[in-house]
Amino acid sequence: MHISEGILSAPVLVAGAALAAAGVAVGLKKMDPDAIPRVAVLSSGFFVASLIHVPIGPSSIHLIVNGINGLLLGWQCFPSIFIALTLQAILFQFGGITVLGVNTVNMALPGVICYYLFRGPVTHGRRIISLASAFACGFLAVFFSAILVALSLVWAEESFTAVAELIVVAHLPVMVIEGLITLFCVAFLKRVKPELLGGRHEKGA
Amino acid sequence: MKKVRSGGISLFIVLLVGTLVLISAPARAHKVTIFAWVEGDTVFTESKFSGGRKVRGAKVAVFDREGTQLLEGTTDGEGEFSFKIPTLTDLRVALNAGMGHRAEWTITESEIREAGGREDVGEAGGQEEAQSADMPRQVSDDLSLSKEEIKELIDESLESKLTPIVKILSEMQTRGPSITEVIGGIGYIVGLMGVALYFLSKRKKNSGKGHD
Repeated sequence: MHISEGILSAPVLVAGAALAAAGVAVGLKKMDPDAIPRVAVLSSGFFVASLIHVPIGPSSIHLIVNGINGLLLGWQCFPSIFIALTLQAILFQFGGITVLGVNTVNMALPGVICYYLFRGPVTHGRRIISLASAFACGFLAVFFSAILVALSLVWAEESFTAVAELIVVAHLPVMVIEGLITLFCVAFLKRVKPELLGGRHEKGA
Repeated sequence: MKKVRSGGISLFIVLLVGTLVLISAPARAHKVTIFAWVEGDTVFTESKFSGGRKVRGAKVAVFDREGTQLLEGTTDGEGEFSFKIPTLTDLRVALNAGMGHRAEWTITESEIREAGGREDVGEAGGQEEAQSADMPRQVSDDLSLSKEEIKELIDESLESKLTPIVKILSEMQTRGPSITEVIGGIGYIVGLMGVALYFLSKRKKNSGKGHD
């Protein structure tokens, strides 16, 4: 889902960069010193996940894991994903430096949205509700990313609905897989470190 | 207490990342590349996602030096697309694989000249050359081969000899990230974390001293 260089027009790039900068600033402000290792580790996870390909469908798709990033980090997933995307752009030539802002927003914003949507339900006492919302969190984070990518491409491609449909359909397998990954992570963390899911690590929250 | 907590979490996530690295060992990546080369009067292009997956049915547009579009086509089942060189100029071949995937390759005018492509298109400059080329041809009539014929023969055999090399080059272009780059990236992240923690711990110490 990385948008390459040379597709987007300058206003979109600038808007993306501004939004990403704001998100990273909020994330850094909310970052507790104790949370730094967690952000770093989840950032590494994001960095590596994009190398895992899902060989289904006509296009080239890979894992994104922005759902679990958002769920565990809240706004801090902005710096986490920004660093990972920067390294991917430099080392792998995924995306690019000029599109870094747009790509950061496309991946991190859904994480933040899912954080607010699912932080409560995931900690719900009933196991079925908690796990179902974990699945929805992983699934929807990718879905929102697909929509955001289509939105960023509106000025470059002909029609939003066609592009959005294409991206969403291509990423359906990834959505399901990420839903399952998030589900297993939440199930594991609930057993081992339930306080991680409480959203307690955020200073402001 | 806090230490124990983050220790356990880190261990869990380090293990998770470790498995991810292992899974991705035949590292496949997410980038498109287009590779174009000239053979005679035709430009061949090959489009791949890095990792070697072919880009099928993607749009390829060809632009000249000024950025005006000369022609457009679609990649076939092998991710290939070829076209006759329309004019003698620098050609910019742009691939749009959809969903924000884009790649470019430039073929310079000199490359096309060297490949012997479309001498007839550069007509203004070509006429003089044709005149001067006539003379040696007449002279070489009594010889068995003219300069041009020799050149053609050499070009032909060179092209067939170079084809595998061109293929290797195009494959190198599309190779996914290596394990070194992956480990390197994780190293950077851990390093950044170290730097952040270092400064924070310094700040803590200083503020601690202030309280004493």
